[in-house]
Amino acid sequence: MIKILLLGAATACALAMPTTMPAAAQDAYVVGLTGALTGPPSSTYAPAVEGLRIYIDRVNAAGGVNGKKINLILEDDGAQPSKAAANAKKLVTQDKAVLLVNASLSSTYAPMIAESKNAGVPLLFASGVCPKSVYPPADPLQFCTTGYAANYDSQAALDFVKSQAKGPVKIGFSAMAIPLSRGEIDHAESLSKTMGMTPVDKEVIPPPTADYTPFATKLKDAGPTWVYSWAPWVTQVRTFEALRKLGWKDDMIAWAHLESEAELPRLKDDRFFVIGANALFQDNLPVHKEIAEAVKKAGSKYPPTMMTEGWIGGMAIEAALKAAGWPADAAKVRTAMESLKLDTKGLRGSPIEWTKDNHFRTKLDYRVYRWDSGKSAIAQVQDWKSYPVK
Amino acid sequence: MQLIVNIIVLASIYALIACGYVLIYRVSRVLNLAHGELMMLGAYLVLATASLFNNHPALALGMAVLLSLVAGGLVYVFLMRKMTGEMVLAAILTTVALGILIKGVVVLIWSAQQQYPAQALGVPNPSLAIAGAHISLWSAVLVGVTALTYGALFVFLRFGRWGTRMRAAGQNPLLAAQRGINLHGVYALAWGLSTLTGAAAGILMALDSGITQAMPIIGLKAFPAALVGGLDSLAGALIGALIVAGAEVLLIYYVDPLLSDVVPFIVLIAMLIVRPWGLFGTREELDRV
Repeated sequence: MIKILLLGAATACALAMPTTMPAAAQDAYVVGLTGALTGPPSSTYAPAVEGLRIYIDRVNAAGGVNGKKINLILEDDGAQPSKAAANAKKLVTQDKAVLLVNASLSSTYAPMIAESKNAGVPLLFASGVCPKSVYPPADPLQFCTTGYAANYDSQAALDFVKSQAKGPVKIGFSAMAIPLSRGEIDHAESLSKTMGMTPVDKEVIPPPTADYTPFATKLKDAGPTWVYSWAPWVTQVRTFEALRKLGWKDDMIAWAHLESEAELPRLKDDRFFVIGANALFQDNLPVHKEIAEAVKKAGSKYPPTMMTEGWIGGMAIEAALKAAGWPADAAKVRTAMESLKLDTKGLRGSPIEWTKDNHFRTKLDYRVYRWDSGKSAIAQVQDWKSYPVK
Repeated sequence: MQLIVNIIVLASIYALIACGYVLIYRVSRVLNLAHGELMMLGAYLVLATASLFNNHPALALGMAVLLSLVAGGLVYVFLMRKMTGEMVLAAILTTVALGILIKGVVVLIWSAQQQYPAQALGVPNPSLAIAGAHISLWSAVLVGVTALTYGALFVFLRFGRWGTRMRAAGQNPLLAAQRGINLHGVYALAWGLSTLTGAAAGILMALDSGITQAMPIIGLKAFPAALVGGLDSLAGALIGALIVAGAEVLLIYYVDPLLSDVVPFIVLIAMLIVRPWGLFGTREELDRV
């Protein structure tokens, strides 16, 4: 019996081990990341973490930053707040990370922010939604590179809906039952009223849902001419597919998560729009080729189209550490991040610029894509449209 | 009419998953908390067989189901058999560890990406109209498979030689062993059948809407259906699934969609207060739990 319990404990310990073992802290910049590498929403976060890891490996292979390697320590939190808190504590106390990175659900933010504040270590949100605390006036320790952001995204999405609608808009909403998705859809609902639209229904769907049809039935029966969803991809796409199965034929707009480029050709629906801050690979930029080559070389299980968020996060980490110099501590990294200007090589509509008060960006740019049956390809419906960040 | 169809589909999902819990508990008194993960594994196995049997979806599906049966048997032979004679709690904890292991392994092999076996198999999923309501093809198949599974299990347990042995082993393992019944064979079969039914649910759900890492949680949501009906009763699992699904769909439509997450557990708590051994369970099982 004791042998069996010990075997179980050993297995559990082995599974809980970090995916990268820390090297000696004094030899390298230590960056600690906790992300949803497993668990229900991992399809959105794990590829981003992979993209970030590939980028950092590439930097290290090229000699590192300021002649020093970056020791990226990856921890899996399974999108669970308690695990994220434990990971963050370990990363700052045991691994002595000079920078923390979160790539997980918004429900993991609060405990991680608390650990970051306790230790005075800057926290970068890279692929998890940007919290409002990075908007001006920003929290001194929090920064964000992620493409999607509360309030601005809904403004841009609803502006697009209004520009496309030929008559009065009856709009339905779909969110996942997590704090930021719900909050954003509540905001979008209020915003739609001020824009002359009629909100008809709002479905807040729990993450582990066996069948989306009961939610879609209620949404369809409310008679929307448009549906807007701002949630993890699984909620967006399953709501849409359930609506289509029920015979709903109108338009839907959703956030262009990492999955969207692979999913639009699967769905093949001209009336499903995705709005996002990242240029899709169909735009065929030189940086896209660079990412594709690096991903191929790394032998990743994820397609390059899912790497953009992680790649941009990696670019920001490299730039911040470069500006911080060597030797770097958490305070130096934070100071460097406060004046960072990052050229994303066209992956975004404009550079990411951080100031002392703005740890988000000075303006946001959005593109809209959809599937074009005529061309049998993804088509750009709206080019970069800018929104200043106030 | 659409609401009735929605209830039937959701009840079928829960019932097909729940019968796996019942089968193992009824025979070996173990609560298999890795059932959701085994269900997910079955769905992933379709991806593997789809790449092996290109353009033969029926063969790929059949192989995946067969592999699930074998996987369940192997779980017993290599893991749960070692638990024979140990505390029930140790066996349950072992299933928890197994679940964690499976979740890690599927991410390592297939990644955390959302996957679509229907796309891999090249099979469509059209929407069917029935008396003014809509149901997708694979949801309709799931309803049919659930009915077929329960019918087959009833016949097997009632009239089959191994079914009778399974019932005997469940009622009194010592006496069954003394009468020459191979208990390990019976238990391995129970684990195999349980994994097969769970995998069937996972495969059909995946064919309808894809595989996500949330599948194990869905597996756990079906557990209350088994408990409401009575953990040692297959008929109870069916009725329990109908009650839980009915409450869930109606509350989503008429009250608040957020309730869907807690409804199964509210129903479960209500049942535990009123009739702790479930609708069709036997009272003596309560002491064992």
